[in-house]
Amino acid sequence: MELVKKIGFVLLGLFIILNWGLIMSGIIRKIIARLGMRRGIKVFQPYINLIKNYSIRSQISHGVMFYLGPVFRLSGGIGIFLFMPLIHGSELWSNFSFTGDLILIAYFAFFGMLGMALGAGEGGHPYSAIGISRGLAQFTAIELPLTLAIISIAIQYNTLSISEIVAAQQGGIQNWTLVTNPFATVAAMISFLGAMGHSPFSVVMAPQEIPIGPPTEYHGTFLGILQTNRAILHVIEAVLYMNLFFGGATNWGILILKSFLVYFWSVFVGMVFPRFRVDQSIPWLLKLPVLIGIIAIALLII
Amino acid sequence: MTNLFSIEYITIFTSFALLVLGLWGIISQKNIFKIIISFSIVNTSIHLLLVSLAYIRNRTAPIIDSAVDRVNAAEKVVDPVPHALVLTAIVIGIGITALMLSYAFTMYKQHKTLDINQYKSLKW
Amino acid sequence: MVSPIYIIAILLGMAFMLGLLSKSGTRIAGILTSVSLALPVYISISWFIQILSGNADAITIFTAGSVPPFSINLVMGLEEAFFTSAINILGLLGFIYLSADLKKQGVRAMALYLVLIMGLNVVVMTRDIFNLFVFMEIVTIAVAGLIYLKNDNQSKEAGFKYLVAVGIISLFFLIGIGFFYFYGGTLNIDGFIAANSVVVKGATIAIFFIIISIILELKPFPANGWALDVYQAATPGVSALISSGTATASIFVLYKLLPLGSEIWLQILTVVGAVTFLGSNFLGISQKNTNRLLGYSSIGQVGLLMMVIGFMPQLGSAFKMIFFSVFISHFLAKAGLFWLSGIVKKESITDWGILRGSNIALFLFGIFLFALVGFPPFPSFYGKWQMVMELAGTGRFIWIVIILLGSFFEGLYLFRWLGYAIKGEKSNEEKLQIPWDKIVPPFIFGISLFIAAYYANSMSVYGNTINLIPLVFILLLFVIDFLPAYIKNTITIGAMVYYAVNLYPSISDDTLRVVFAAIFLIGGILTMIAGYSVKGKRKGFFPFAVMMYFGLIGLIEAENLFQFFFAWELMTLGSYILIIRGKFSMKHAFNYMLFSLGGAYLIFLGIAMSSFGNTSLDIGIIGLSTMPGWSYTLLAIGFLTKTAALGLHIWLPGAHAEAESDVSPMVSGILLKGGVFGLIVLFLAMGGEQAASHPLLYSLGWLGAITALGGNLLAVFQEDAKRLLAYSSVANLGYILFALAFMTNIGWLSALTYSINHFLFKTLLFLAIGGVVLRVKTHNMYEMGGLIKQMPWSFIAVLIGIITLAGIPPLSGYAGKWLFYNAVITKGWYFQGVLVFFAGTIAFLYCFKLIYSVFLGQPKDRFRKVKEAPIWYLIPQFILIIGIMIFSARPDLVLKPIGALLTQSSYFPSDSLSWENVTASTNLGYWSGYKIMLVIGVMFAVLLVWLMYMSRKTQKVKQFNIVYAGERPFTPETTHFSHNMFSHYYKALGFLSAPLATRFWNITNDITHRIADGSKRLYTGNGQTYLAVIMAYIIIIYLIMF
Repeated sequence: MELVKKIGFVLLGLFIILNWGLIMSGIIRKIIARLGMRRGIKVFQPYINLIKNYSIRSQISHGVMFYLGPVFRLSGGIGIFLFMPLIHGSELWSNFSFTGDLILIAYFAFFGMLGMALGAGEGGHPYSAIGISRGLAQFTAIELPLTLAIISIAIQYNTLSISEIVAAQQGGIQNWTLVTNPFATVAAMISFLGAMGHSPFSVVMAPQEIPIGPPTEYHGTFLGILQTNRAILHVIEAVLYMNLFFGGATNWGILILKSFLVYFWSVFVGMVFPRFRVDQSIPWLLKLPVLIGIIAIALLII
Repeated sequence: MTNLFSIEYITIFTSFALLVLGLWGIISQKNIFKIIISFSIVNTSIHLLLVSLAYIRNRTAPIIDSAVDRVNAAEKVVDPVPHALVLTAIVIGIGITALMLSYAFTMYKQHKTLDINQYKSLKW
Repeated sequence: MVSPIYIIAILLGMAFMLGLLSKSGTRIAGILTSVSLALPVYISISWFIQILSGNADAITIFTAGSVPPFSINLVMGLEEAFFTSAINILGLLGFIYLSADLKKQGVRAMALYLVLIMGLNVVVMTRDIFNLFVFMEIVTIAVAGLIYLKNDNQSKEAGFKYLVAVGIISLFFLIGIGFFYFYGGTLNIDGFIAANSVVVKGATIAIFFIIISIILELKPFPANGWALDVYQAATPGVSALISSGTATASIFVLYKLLPLGSEIWLQILTVVGAVTFLGSNFLGISQKNTNRLLGYSSIGQVGLLMMVIGFMPQLGSAFKMIFFSVFISHFLAKAGLFWLSGIVKKESITDWGILRGSNIALFLFGIFLFALVGFPPFPSFYGKWQMVMELAGTGRFIWIVIILLGSFFEGLYLFRWLGYAIKGEKSNEEKLQIPWDKIVPPFIFGISLFIAAYYANSMSVYGNTINLIPLVFILLLFVIDFLPAYIKNTITIGAMVYYAVNLYPSISDDTLRVVFAAIFLIGGILTMIAGYSVKGKRKGFFPFAVMMYFGLIGLIEAENLFQFFFAWELMTLGSYILIIRGKFSMKHAFNYMLFSLGGAYLIFLGIAMSSFGNTSLDIGIIGLSTMPGWSYTLLAIGFLTKTAALGLHIWLPGAHAEAESDVSPMVSGILLKGGVFGLIVLFLAMGGEQAASHPLLYSLGWLGAITALGGNLLAVFQEDAKRLLAYSSVANLGYILFALAFMTNIGWLSALTYSINHFLFKTLLFLAIGGVVLRVKTHNMYEMGGLIKQMPWSFIAVLIGIITLAGIPPLSGYAGKWLFYNAVITKGWYFQGVLVFFAGTIAFLYCFKLIYSVFLGQPKDRFRKVKEAPIWYLIPQFILIIGIMIFSARPDLVLKPIGALLTQSSYFPSDSLSWENVTASTNLGYWSGYKIMLVIGVMFAVLLVWLMYMSRKTQKVKQFNIVYAGERPFTPETTHFSHNMFSHYYKALGFLSAPLATRFWNITNDITHRIADGSKRLYTGNGQTYLAVIMAYIIIIYLIMF
């Protein structure tokens, strides 16, 4: 009975996150368009896209792995959601976070990436492979500041459990990691830019040169699944950063607000800066952001 | 024994001089035959050394004849052992020298030269 | 019992008799000579056995009806009997070997031969110094005559140099005799000793000349140019006699005469021996001429024997055993090698590939080389071990270093040679002609090596702790090598299962050992299963595979350091042969051997230093070492050569990549754990947690982290699938080293998890890729592509493998990563840790490249019809997958007992991982492999069903049906994005992958060889220079002494 209730709340949480993700991406695209002096899409356009893609009945497959790729991808996205505590102090909204800690989430992110990469790989399109190779390469450098930040906060709070990290930040903005450990926050937020795939780290999808990169070959239901995943993933990644650095959320309103702001940070930067090539982004990421991360650790151990 | 020019010293000095001469010849002469001859000189010098070491003043050769009778031979003759050794050594020396010469001979037949510097096909 | 005097009588008599025979009587002469050589063998051996068993005492034979000093006496004691037996056996076999040549030259040559053997016998037995001189001269003349046997320009030249040099040396001997008699009044050695004439001041000059001449006869470095020329120029049968026969006699003479001199001679001898052993072997490394190379080695070995004699007082009761084992190895192996050289008839060692024409010859060649280098179970292994231990007991480490360095150089050129024989180019027209009379002598000597090994083993102090049964089994595998591979494979697997079942009860209480034993034995069995796919006989594979596995198991079973080192060397040897079996493995196997040898000697030195001041050889004494800094560092570096830490890794990629398909998993997934186990032994001995702040560990931690980064980065830029996996192994071993260096409970837990994981996924990956390579016949990933359709099972295996490798949940790789994070933060090695995590993300790059380039992307036309990998490759793969799944779902099954063991042991008392059912937690975080697996499994299944429902009308399309701007791509080759896949990454971080280590070792290698080559020019080839060097040598020794 307990388990059924748990699963019920998990599914409910997933539903909320998915919808928020879709609406958020609509809002963001609207903002981007307005900034570019365009009228832009409707806010509900992501819903329309999703319904359209799921309804397409003519579909092709390049093989088993191609078929499984989106499943992996969505499992990855939902998996992170499942292992993430959402609302601080709420047993019901903590999902399955008791099975693993921050490290689990950090590594489970690869699950979807890998599956996607393999699925796209079997599609046989060179652009997919090019996109993946860029993505993986850039990703190694993106992870580095984040790793430093994670270690820094693990030292700071002496735990790797996300719930405990959130708990430690309660009681006002002065307890947020943002304030108590600004260097770690900065390093992680730079890393976040890369994870979200906006400029200047958008060369992976680079619409103008390798049409949307890895998912090039996907369409119909497959693409629908990928879009579903993206909606979930963007929110849940923002929730992760929110939990780690911005005091977490004690109710859904705060969660929605904070995740929007965190996500918007990447959009904001993306609007302002041009795109890096991979061989530019990696050295850049390995310099200043890594230095900031090192300072974040060094300050704690001195 | 006090006299520096007594027979013992002279032989020893001679043998030493011959030794040095022979060794010098071995490492300075380029002609293979000259090297062999130098070798013989060294050989001889050592024979001389052995004999001179065996010499005991005022004694005679260790041959039992009219001059030395069987009974008191031990007091009258010099030490006979080195003489025996030298005899053997001479024989062996001849054997070695002969073999060297035959080697030198066949080497010469092949290369028409006796310069030891020309025989360096084996090295390093 | 026949009186030893008959040895002389028979040989001399026959030599004269032969003169009577006419020239046409060579056939009869041959028979007569053989018989007259056989009789002395019987006489001397019967004396040896009788004296040894105590049935007879040493006897003295008086000649001329009188006693010394008035006559010559000969002694036949235990030592004399042993040496004359050796000489006479060599004489008989050498005659059989040379008989064809001798017959050509006629009966006189046979007479000469008889005289030589007779001379050597007398030289050994006589107690009269002048008699000794005479017979040495006789030997010289006989040898000079035999050198002439070959009758070409070179042999004449060499013969002349020999004559002059030895002639001069014996003249010095004669001078010595003169003084000897003058001061001692006797020519009898015993008489001289009894009179204690050394105290007479003048007598020292006599002894000086006598001993220095004997030393010079033994060809000390560098006054030995003449000897090298002789070895090179004489016909190999004669060189064998010189190397094993005359050198044997001379070394015994030295042993016999040493009591004449004072103690200082022992020291001189030690120095002379050391200089010779080191110098000669060092110059040997740049030598390519077969016989000359053997000459260098021969001289080196005699140098070692001189050292052994020089250390007689220090070696004490162990002297006999050490001398015996070093001597007998040299004696048998060197004669055998010269004989083989006469069969092969190739001047350069690079042409020895022809030896592969004969299995027996190759086998003999191998064991002779192993015996010379001192691999177990051959006698010199025991000898060197004992010698080093005795020297270590008195703190003579410099000497140990010299011995090991000399051995290393010797190993270097011998293994280069072996490489050419096993893998060198070989033209098909040439066939190896092996007449029976040429192969029987080396064969008998080869067999004798094993017998000698048995005796060395039983004489050795720790020999009885060695389990000889597996060695016999290995030998048995050689014997049944003619059977088809599958039979031998079954026997081997059966033996391993049997061994595993028997081993388990004895180690079951030590989880650590159980884990490694499981890796070695289960891994061994699994990889052997793949061997069923090999058709034919697979000659020479199984003995060495078993040798490697037995070596690995031996490491686990070892209770003392001797057993440990024995097993270590056995493992090295077996794996070397396995590696060199690959098609292009010659260079790589050689590199492997060099690093292994170097590493093994460092370990050896480390053990020696640890044993200083300790009475036992238990493994624990490492921790009691009185020079902990040295011992620990040496041992650590030694083990790191096997685990291929960055800088010492350059052998690994080639060796693993070029090995056969089923050997790669053996050497990568399993063998490397041998090094890990070594490190574990070392670290435990250092004291576990108490030593956690040891500076060595700190540097090893950094080294591990850098290795992880470097290995992964290098793997990313590979195009060769197996090389990629090999570099990945380098990195993974870096992780393990890093985690071990924590020296904390949780750090070790993660290291062991990593070890198990690496075994599982790397064996899996190498088997899978090996299976693919078997089918597509190339290692280059960009040539493959789209193979998922042809090889779906291999694809699944690789997929599971890379998920585990990358540490992605839910598979067990994640367990390692999670433990790692905890360990890093607990320990406080943040920055090293970050390097390691960075390395971890880089691993994704090559994981993707591997699976994508091989199985996904565009299929190539030429591989459209390839089949799935052989079933025998898939079976072990899926067993491994099951293993991974079990370990992933229930890590507690393995980690709980290990954790309990670590915690309960005195080494890691602090408990940092606690278990609640299936959830593990530390004071930092928590993780439940079982629940994660469950959650992800359910979710994945639900989503899959949903997708299948949604896309039920999906149609499959052909290869080129892709979104390609409305066009069709030209060819799969141009559409498959694989070659240089990470060029952008190279542009960004490629500078980190600069081959610095390779460059460093190349330069080191180059400089070493250049120095050796330059110093070698000391031997100008000019006989006169040789003589000058001899004289200078005498003068220098004189100056040193007085």
